[in-house]
Amino acid sequence: MPEAFTGPLEQVDECRWRIPRSYKPGMRTDGLIYADETLMKTIRQDKSPEQVANVACLPGIVGASLAMPDIHWGYGFCIGGVAATDPEEGGVISPGGVGYDINCGVRLVRTDIPASDAQPRLRKLVDTLFATVPCGVGGTGKVRFSKKELQELVVAGSRYVVERGFGCDEDVERTEGNGCLEGARPEHVSDHAYERGYDQVGTLGSGNHFVEVQVVEEVVDPRAADVLGLKPGYIAVTIHSGSRGFGYQICEDALRDLREVPKKYGIELPDRQLVCAPVHSAEGQRYLGAMRAAANYAWCNRQILMHLVRQVFEQVFDQPADQLGMHLVYDVAHNIAKLEPYQVAGRMRKLCVHRKGATRAFPAGHPEVPEVYRSIGQPVLVPGDMGRTSWVLVGQLKAMEETFGSCCHGAGRLLSRSAAIRAAKGRSIEKELAAAGVVARARGRTGLAEEQPDAYKDVSQVVEVVQRAGISKKVARLRPIGVIKG
Amino acid sequence: MAGRYEFFDHTADVGVRAWAPTLPELVQAAGDGLYAVVGRLVAARETPGRWLNFEFVGDDDAVLLRDYLAELLRLLATKRCVVTAIAVEEFSPTRLRVDAETRALDLDRSSLEREVKAVTYHQLELRPAAGGYEATFIVDI
Repeated sequence: MPEAFTGPLEQVDECRWRIPRSYKPGMRTDGLIYADETLMKTIRQDKSPEQVANVACLPGIVGASLAMPDIHWGYGFCIGGVAATDPEEGGVISPGGVGYDINCGVRLVRTDIPASDAQPRLRKLVDTLFATVPCGVGGTGKVRFSKKELQELVVAGSRYVVERGFGCDEDVERTEGNGCLEGARPEHVSDHAYERGYDQVGTLGSGNHFVEVQVVEEVVDPRAADVLGLKPGYIAVTIHSGSRGFGYQICEDALRDLREVPKKYGIELPDRQLVCAPVHSAEGQRYLGAMRAAANYAWCNRQILMHLVRQVFEQVFDQPADQLGMHLVYDVAHNIAKLEPYQVAGRMRKLCVHRKGATRAFPAGHPEVPEVYRSIGQPVLVPGDMGRTSWVLVGQLKAMEETFGSCCHGAGRLLSRSAAIRAAKGRSIEKELAAAGVVARARGRTGLAEEQPDAYKDVSQVVEVVQRAGISKKVARLRPIGVIKG
Repeated sequence: MAGRYEFFDHTADVGVRAWAPTLPELVQAAGDGLYAVVGRLVAARETPGRWLNFEFVGDDDAVLLRDYLAELLRLLATKRCVVTAIAVEEFSPTRLRVDAETRALDLDRSSLEREVKAVTYHQLELRPAAGGYEATFIVDI
């Protein structure tokens, strides 16, 4: 069992807990965890609160070191962590605050297919998705790019693959940041990263990545659901993947390149995985340029994955995707660092916001929210486990005031992988899911066991906390009926 | 006694603890542990092995071991090959030199269960232990 956290956790209100700055030397600010009492009981069981305190030691941190209610033990940053630093005050960028899977994220596709029409073809649909979408360990894609093309792709983002026939303009408009993080520097990406990523655009990967066929089970906010095109009883599809080996290698390279940098700038760190550089330093800019390239790679990856999903639906339902109403609702990143303007202490400051397992959640009226959604706020996609439920929310103004426009990203793990395998011994997770109405397909023997529903917290509890805290608002609940995993 | 390894719990990822009587055997055991996280990796024996030389320099032996493991991951991901034999030429706090025989992975006989993204620095340790040495590392899944 992981070691439990024994430090101070002061309850601020029903959904906020503070780790005071006085907890350990080096903390420059408080830690603040969003959770209710039930979730806090599990959060205390591992070292994730310690990681929140460690992040509070980063130079230039503004506000508290934050953690969302899906917080769990990561490496360096906790998963579910948010930290903003001010580059003008010596603020740093830390690759550990983004993670190895740079721009791991989620996209949601809505359809005009009633669940009753999909049910008779569900097995065929899931089997065809499983046969068509490249997935599994080291899976390679059906679309290959030369190094020169990849260098163009990682600068342009989603638009690069849309212009080559893998989607439409509307897809780009409904992707966070239009599927492109400006300032990517392909020359700062190593040959090793290009080698690791050249054949993985349009691949799902393994671990917790998935394509899930869902039914819109409940609409909580009819007006917002209508704007998003979500109708009760209709099919939707969620895709979860990231920047594959390309991003992993960029993070690996950065952590190696930055090893001596904290010493150079006189930065003391409580964990080697928090290695960082001032945003304005040459080293910081080098990582940002490469990280942005990986972010753009990830948006292209999910764009091509969605194209493959649309092709499968066309085949199974024998209609063009547009007649099936297969519009992208939204695509959000949940492992990323971005420079974003915030009002802090009466002054507008451009901060470097790290979201490590956290989703951007901008409110209604924010210029970064696509015009079509500007009246309701940015869609926040929160997938749960494959047996229960997922949620669609929209960002609220409070998120801008408290969490640097951030919200939770999922259910958060409860069991370790080993514990999940032990819990699955003698059971067939595939049959259990089938009995619950979910057709599941996975490549590896251990994948379904490690990702079984019991391995995760109840995402509805997580979402309840962010709604009560006022940082996002529930719109609709989705129920899985089919899933493919690597 | 040759080196051995075991997994330990980490909420989202996998921890590996390796131990061995000597440092060269620890390098071997740590590599075996890393491969075991990925799955059952079987090398193709039909083609001759290819020897590669790895050299890592720094000021921390745990980080040097991590760098070696990261190289194993990269070779697996990009060349689809595994290390089948090693000779540790030097392992000091400032330098690790390994000659390694690599072979193509036999994909038909192997079972790839987990995609290891990286060997992290979090809780990375190498220390003397009863009867030899022990290393711990956490891999990102």
